[in-house]
Amino acid sequence: MLLRELACLILAGTLCAYAYRRLLRYLRFLQQEEYKGERYLDWLKERSAYDRQASLVIAATLLAYLATRLVAWAWLPSLIIVCGAAALWMRAMLEPDPRVTGKLRLKMTERAQRTFQMCAVIFVIFAVVALGLTTRLFSCELGVMLAGLALAQSLPFIPFVASKALEPLEKHVQERLKNEAREKFLAIAPFTIGVTGSFGKTSTKSLLGQVLNTALGPTFWPQRGVNTLMGITREIRERLSPQHRYAVVEMGAYHRGSIKSLADFTPPHAAIVTAVGTMHLERFGSPEDVYRAKSELPQAVPADGILVLNGDNAGARRMADEFRKKTTLIYGLDPQAGPLDCSASDIRFTAKGSEFTINWQGAQFKARSPLLGRPAISNMLGAFTMAVALGAQPKLVAAAFANVEPVDNRLVLRPGTPTSYLQDAYNSNPVGFRAAMEILNQIPARRRILMTPGMIELGNTQDQENRSIGEFCATRCDFALIVGETNRAALVEGLKAGGMPEDRIIQLPTREAGFAKIRDMQEAGDLVLIENDLPDRLEFVERF
Amino acid sequence: MRQRLKVAVLFGGRSVEHEISVISALQMISAMDTLRYDPIPVYIDLSGKWFTGKPLLQRSFYRNFDAAAAGLENVTLLPQPGLGGLSRTSAPNSILPVDVFFPLFHGRFGEDGCIQGLFELAEVPYVGCGVLASAVAMSKQRCKTLLAGVGLPVLPGCLVEKPDVLRDLDAQLARVAASPWLEQFPLFVKPNNSGSSVGIGKAANREELAATLANVFVYDVEALVEPCLSDMFEVNVSVLAGRAKRVSVVEIPVATAGALTYEDKYLRSGGKKSGESQGMASLTRVIDPADLDPGIKNTITDYARRAFDALGCRGVARFDFMVSKADGRIYLNELNSPPGSMAFYLWEKSAPRLLYTELVDCLIEDALDRAGWRASVKWEMEFRALKQ
Repeated sequence: MLLRELACLILAGTLCAYAYRRLLRYLRFLQQEEYKGERYLDWLKERSAYDRQASLVIAATLLAYLATRLVAWAWLPSLIIVCGAAALWMRAMLEPDPRVTGKLRLKMTERAQRTFQMCAVIFVIFAVVALGLTTRLFSCELGVMLAGLALAQSLPFIPFVASKALEPLEKHVQERLKNEAREKFLAIAPFTIGVTGSFGKTSTKSLLGQVLNTALGPTFWPQRGVNTLMGITREIRERLSPQHRYAVVEMGAYHRGSIKSLADFTPPHAAIVTAVGTMHLERFGSPEDVYRAKSELPQAVPADGILVLNGDNAGARRMADEFRKKTTLIYGLDPQAGPLDCSASDIRFTAKGSEFTINWQGAQFKARSPLLGRPAISNMLGAFTMAVALGAQPKLVAAAFANVEPVDNRLVLRPGTPTSYLQDAYNSNPVGFRAAMEILNQIPARRRILMTPGMIELGNTQDQENRSIGEFCATRCDFALIVGETNRAALVEGLKAGGMPEDRIIQLPTREAGFAKIRDMQEAGDLVLIENDLPDRLEFVERF
Repeated sequence: MRQRLKVAVLFGGRSVEHEISVISALQMISAMDTLRYDPIPVYIDLSGKWFTGKPLLQRSFYRNFDAAAAGLENVTLLPQPGLGGLSRTSAPNSILPVDVFFPLFHGRFGEDGCIQGLFELAEVPYVGCGVLASAVAMSKQRCKTLLAGVGLPVLPGCLVEKPDVLRDLDAQLARVAASPWLEQFPLFVKPNNSGSSVGIGKAANREELAATLANVFVYDVEALVEPCLSDMFEVNVSVLAGRAKRVSVVEIPVATAGALTYEDKYLRSGGKKSGESQGMASLTRVIDPADLDPGIKNTITDYARRAFDALGCRGVARFDFMVSKADGRIYLNELNSPPGSMAFYLWEKSAPRLLYTELVDCLIEDALDRAGWRASVKWEMEFRALKQ
């Protein structure tokens, strides 16, 4: 008798250990979805990340148990259960720890800890209810196994329930954090520049932050693409210091009123609008609604403030007339679109990056930058115009562009001898890939080498797109290094169809092997484009 | 058996040379004689928190540094004499005993006298230069001014301060152009208070000079502009002050392009295929070059010894010289204390040969000796003025 109960106890204990490790893994994804329960459920459905491993082990144990119950040896069913527990224990130990593995790790913040504790409480409640029901209806062994199955299946939903249960508390905590951040910001009172636009706003914010920091004074700017109230709150709490004299804040327009609430939070004295586009129409309705949503930023700038607008974009240019400020300045690359206060000429892309001349109110300033592509130059003009309007020396601002860092590894040149690298690590798409290939061909080099795993996440057009990009690249580089398995066949097929000789198509298992090959074959004047450098995403597939 | 000496090795720190310090420190710890010493790794992370614990000895640990997950202990050194070691921040009265402190930082806060000031306040024995020598050595141009004062030939240069450039860039560019030796491009521009070549740049014209200055101001508030002398080569030598003063053999580091870059110094693996950077020890170099004029070797040895004394250095330092190919003239360029990898690669080729383990013995012995001298200084006076 005791043997049976002991076996059940072992199985139950093992399931707890498994749940501990598995819940941590699910928590990582809840955290990545910013603790939004609904978005987490969408992720769950999309990836069908339901529990398979524990459920399979328990189901197999259950079947084996039922089969052996007919046998005379009374100890055999208990042994089966212990074996099942051992198998489950192994599975639990094989679960990767999301706190130390993977590209985006689980950060055990206070909120994560609270949520995890709530998950544990919910798990215990579920377990007590399930065991209570099943052991009443069936025998002890059957009860534990059936309850175990139900619990294993409920695991992915526990973080969802926990996030819902904690929602009121989290709202309260967020409100407090927000108020503290706002008080801190208003007490330090940096001169604030708001940046918005349908594209280019993150790069422009980062560029302006960097050049102000070098050419004018200590500057605070939220990192990467942070442009929401909670994101900015966190940045203010963690990184704003009393020494900061300027703040550059990117303000995202997710719907009408979102910029207004950000402008109330960190009131801007000046603003840059990079573009009013037609993206996300489904969210706004009409192009006019997009314009109105973006207009909330110039509206928030006081009449004696500064407004800097991208003249290449009709929507942004329109704001100049509608929102009159003491200083309104227009920058752009296209003189046909109307008068410009700041423009660029003599744009060249070389092995050292881009070179161009900034024309500012009748004077010329030579500039160079590691950033490439006309969109990057447009963003630099926006940053230049604002920095100079704030009193920085034009020559010093132009000089500062020589050292700016790109914001998200989008098309950046790393010159070197004998090999220079053109890195485009941003998740690649057909348009970006082609643009990068064009830059590869504009920069002087002796040999042009492409290294890529191809493009992913393109749904059912992935093969087609990779084949056609292969064809496009065949005549635009001297060697093609195809890394990984995912798109190998399609890329090679495309390259051959485009007329690239077979001995110039080099197939390698990993990016490490790719880099080794590049070092191996290096000659002076090599230029290597690394397109879509995302090892984790490609090689690491989560299994549940 | 005698109790092993507890040696707290401090490394990391809030500096661009953070990683290099980690490499140097782990290398040094593995060279320590564990029969005599009990090394305690103390890592200062990028936010300035101090941690100790066994996982710090593993190099791979720093790739995903997570203090809480690894069970590291948060400690600090209080500026208060007589505590006998590091204080645990969780329980301030609980002390982790330490006999000697071995700072192995590169760059600001660790090589510039800051941490040495803390050791002085706490009255603990520590390895290497004191506050003054560290601080002077860190400020390249001010160090040169001092050494020129004792008659040593130094490379000319011009110090440019960020606030002045923010006021008027053109005036500063003109000032540089009017400085002796700097009339002609190209010029070298580097942070005045940082080593490891981070932020270093070469300017071929006035526009590039502005750009290289702007780049330096990302890393430092003072920029140093120096002539870029193409017909020169670099010669390095190390000086050690233990119970006796010794000078090592000289070396000629081999640059792949003009000046040594960060990649040259730390990311190349010196012909080895291991792939793991060994810091300064992995640089391509010629040690004790046979074809170098013995006269030049002797002069460099003499200059290094004099500079070491003039600055009041202790422990081990590496002096970098520039030698003109045309006329063999020698200029003292800068010094590093402690140098990357403690310059052990020079000492193990010197005569008499000094292995890394023995080098560490010398340094710790010297730290204890100096602490003894300091303790013998009378500083207490009876209260008189207040008793009147």
